[in-house]
Amino acid sequence: MEAIERLYFRYFPEKLLGEVLTKRWSDNAVPVFATILTISFFLLQNPNFFTLSSLTETSRQLSEFSLIVVAMGIVLLAGGLDLSVGSVFALANITALICIHILGWPVWATVATTLAVGGLCGAVNGFLIGYLRIRAFLTTLVTLIIIRSIVDIILLRYAVEISAVFPESDLWFFIGDGLVFGIPFSFLVAIVVIALWHVILTRARAGWHINAVGGSRRSAYNAGLKVKFTVFTTYVWSSLLTALAGVFFAARLGSAGSDTGAGLEIAALTAAVLGGNSLGGGRGSVIKSVLGAIVVLILTDSMVRVGISGGISSMILGIVLLAVVAIDVRWLKNRHKLLNKVYVSPAYFRLSELPETGAGSGSPYAINDRLKDVSLIGQGEIEGPEDVIFDRNDNLYCPNRHGDIVRFLAPNYKQWEIFAHIGGHPLGMAFDAAENLNVCIGGMGLYQVSPDHTVRKLTDETNRTLLSVIDDSRLKLADDLDIAPDGRIFFSEATIRYDMHDWATDALESRGNGRLICFDPRDRSTKTILRNLQFPNGVCMAGDGQSFFFAETWGCRISRYWFDGPRKGACEVTIPNLPGYPDNINRASDSCFWVALVGMRSPALDLAMRMPSLRKRMAKRVARDQWLFPNINTGCVLKFRPNGEIVESYWDLGGKNHPMVTSMREHKGHLYLGGLYNDRIGRLRLPDADPNWTSQVAYWGANK
Amino acid sequence: MSGSSRIRNIVDRFMGGRGEHSITVPVMDGALKPNNYLEQVAAVSSAEGADNLIRANGHTLLSSGNRVIELHGDGRTSVRNSYEAEITFLCTSPQAAIAVGLDGKGIAIAGGRHDGKRLPAKLSGQNLNCPTAAIFLDEDTLAVCNGSSTYLAPAWSRDLLSLGRSGSVLRLDLIQDKADLVRGGLGFPAGIAAAPGGKLVVAEAWKHRLLALAIDGGGIETVLPDLPAYPGRIISSQEGGYWLALFAVRSQLQEFVLRENRYRREMMANIDPEYWIAPALSSGRSFKEPLQAGSVIRLGIHKPWAPTRSYGLLLRLDDDFQPVWSAHSRADGNRHGITSCVETDGRLFVTSKGLGEVLAIDHLALTEPDDVVAQVGSAA
Repeated sequence: MEAIERLYFRYFPEKLLGEVLTKRWSDNAVPVFATILTISFFLLQNPNFFTLSSLTETSRQLSEFSLIVVAMGIVLLAGGLDLSVGSVFALANITALICIHILGWPVWATVATTLAVGGLCGAVNGFLIGYLRIRAFLTTLVTLIIIRSIVDIILLRYAVEISAVFPESDLWFFIGDGLVFGIPFSFLVAIVVIALWHVILTRARAGWHINAVGGSRRSAYNAGLKVKFTVFTTYVWSSLLTALAGVFFAARLGSAGSDTGAGLEIAALTAAVLGGNSLGGGRGSVIKSVLGAIVVLILTDSMVRVGISGGISSMILGIVLLAVVAIDVRWLKNRHKLLNKVYVSPAYFRLSELPETGAGSGSPYAINDRLKDVSLIGQGEIEGPEDVIFDRNDNLYCPNRHGDIVRFLAPNYKQWEIFAHIGGHPLGMAFDAAENLNVCIGGMGLYQVSPDHTVRKLTDETNRTLLSVIDDSRLKLADDLDIAPDGRIFFSEATIRYDMHDWATDALESRGNGRLICFDPRDRSTKTILRNLQFPNGVCMAGDGQSFFFAETWGCRISRYWFDGPRKGACEVTIPNLPGYPDNINRASDSCFWVALVGMRSPALDLAMRMPSLRKRMAKRVARDQWLFPNINTGCVLKFRPNGEIVESYWDLGGKNHPMVTSMREHKGHLYLGGLYNDRIGRLRLPDADPNWTSQVAYWGANK
Repeated sequence: MSGSSRIRNIVDRFMGGRGEHSITVPVMDGALKPNNYLEQVAAVSSAEGADNLIRANGHTLLSSGNRVIELHGDGRTSVRNSYEAEITFLCTSPQAAIAVGLDGKGIAIAGGRHDGKRLPAKLSGQNLNCPTAAIFLDEDTLAVCNGSSTYLAPAWSRDLLSLGRSGSVLRLDLIQDKADLVRGGLGFPAGIAAAPGGKLVVAEAWKHRLLALAIDGGGIETVLPDLPAYPGRIISSQEGGYWLALFAVRSQLQEFVLRENRYRREMMANIDPEYWIAPALSSGRSFKEPLQAGSVIRLGIHKPWAPTRSYGLLLRLDDDFQPVWSAHSRADGNRHGITSCVETDGRLFVTSKGLGEVLAIDHLALTEPDDVVAQVGSAA
């Protein structure tokens, strides 16, 4: 049973599925699938469908129709609805025909006039809906009727005249029937327009404004966008694109039938929604509109070819619309629920037997009371000092969860000041040779504060992993760092799948979501050096200038990585099976190393780690506050030799004085303790330690 | 089970857990609104594993391990008696005979006309291995709850995790040494009281409810369903109504684990019982105990509403067994594992078995005491 579960969770790409769902383009999956299905169905049904002449004709129709669907898509994206596209299409058709057939105008004037008429219709819609705030549905329904009536009136007067004259313009003929390298001209224009709109909607300010207004009108307004104007422009653009389609239609057929554009609004709406544009606004793209247009066009065309009568084909189209609207509503409503269910993706992880921690057991981990006499610094004045560090003048620095670096002044550490405000949640800290304080900041990246309080960003991104679905180039949770003698900064990023406030969820996964990254100040490059680590946390130079130790919190182990020298690139486990979850690592005065255990393993959780399906069900069914969790209410400090041998441990049994230890720093014969969820810093005298030892001198030498 | 309910059961199971398969726990609200009352009241005495309190012949007696301790008015204690096994309950008759439940050994009678009588753990084909509570129906008849036919009383959490339904309510005839089954197939009956109309009210712990049974084995009725905690001993009050001690609290994680068969099996096979995901009488003694996300101490504060393995809860019931008010010791307190109480001279003595303390509540009336401070936000 366990073996099956292990294999399943190792090889089944559940994680991938969850990540794909976080992508906006995952909405496209259904329309793309529908397109492929429709095309292949009709290919099988009717091989003649895809002959060259048929394709040319279809592509002409498609260019007109897709322009209209894109127009509809733009309006939908801004949260509106344009039912008047059919009438505007007919009006554009008749306008163009009158201009060129009856008035005999040149082609450019004809096109300009037609677009202007279209734009005017759009402006009326846009003014009524955008500025007067009349409902889009009612407004465009009314303009649909009014414009249709105008078309009918014009038709009554000019229909005969139009069909009596044939324009003598090669250019006009070219617009309607011309080919460029075998491709219809109108199709090329449509592709250019569509590509342009794709760029506008995804890259340009105007497009983002449309997205924003559709996504949340109120937020867009609060953000200072001109909501009314944006809505207005979408209707103008919609009618302009429709008018353009009308020009192509006029040039292609030259007929002024009364049924031109009849029912087009329903077809366009069906296509737009079928493509995946949301009726509620804020979700949609040009590509979706085009996909929808292809499917609907093939569907209607084929129904004509198969011989289904007009009435029935309209009915089928209507049913399709109803179905996709229903799917759209359900999908939007349930998408995040589905995402919640599949995003958390626990991995199988079997830890070795829990090491003995009993008092008097003789184990190096045996619990004791040595942290009982810790004196406290800044109790109740700071929140979340994850790390502590000292400068050459013995001042103490610690992060604060409000995004500050707080400096406690030597010698008694009673007085404190805000050394720098950065934001985020500062975590691990290290001084470099030039006395700059380098800080990992959860949610922001790697920052540097110079002695004159200037804050500089060093890096907030690294190289993106090839073929990763979620963008892992941004640093989500930079955790701890240390600096090599040559100035390179090696730091850990605990997880790439969760944010600072969600770090606990990563424990539930216990997957290798973290990585180690190197920032080289010489060329300011950032490079990932190790991936798939289980919440890599503390980083500490081993002192040989070639390697460093790092802790993997959920992996309960400490490893050593060689970044230089003969063993460059090697990585080996130094301490495999800790009784708790290691956090920061720092140097001790006796060439040993300190490591903080932020929490202790519990047998119930160790067992759950072997049952990823249990944890997955728990994430789905149990409220977050009730989740089984690593015990981070109790912790301890360990000292280990470079060969991995544990020398001693420091415990606070009651946990009353200093509940959580995420970091410790030895300085002049004292050990200073930090804790992510603490409101204090602990200070413990180390009777046997060198009273003059400071890590600044150990790292960068005494003469400065 | 009828066909349609069987189908509904299957549907419920696959629709993400509805109905019987739901893991939700009733919220503590109304009469169960949390307070800090059990932490406020005075402690009278302390004794390791203080369990069942009774009042016999004007003396207050307390079971603790395998000893019966007398509590004197000035707070002194003296050992009255001791037995070869852990005492699982005490109860007394109107004429001051005392029945003593012995873990795995049956029942011993002290005083009264059956003084010195021993009833074995297997009597007339009925199990008395895990007697949890009893009352005298008259001087010759005892109604006893046997929590589980598989496990002994101290292993109650194993019975819970094994989804134990082997508990029973028995009627013991002390003259003929005979046991009659009143009701079997119960999920750990842990408390019993006499109700008007010749009925017995039994606390069925694993089903979180109070049942009313006819003594002659007739009809059964649920008088108080859906408790948010596991009910234990019930006593009637001189001021009307009843007291119900609830020895541990339910939690969503617990309900979830109860539905995870493989996990429960492996947990019981490989992990020490004190570190199970199981309710407990006290908690927070070792870092190896399972912790839930909401219980993480932040800025030095353990939130009182945090999820917890142990809890202190005493419930005041009216004559119809409906809750009126309650006294709590929450996640940040330590007077957990309330197992019994007894009224003595206008005071209510309460045992916190988790802490090993006897507490005294001065307010006995059915109305909620005025000095209950609802502790919603502060942990102090």
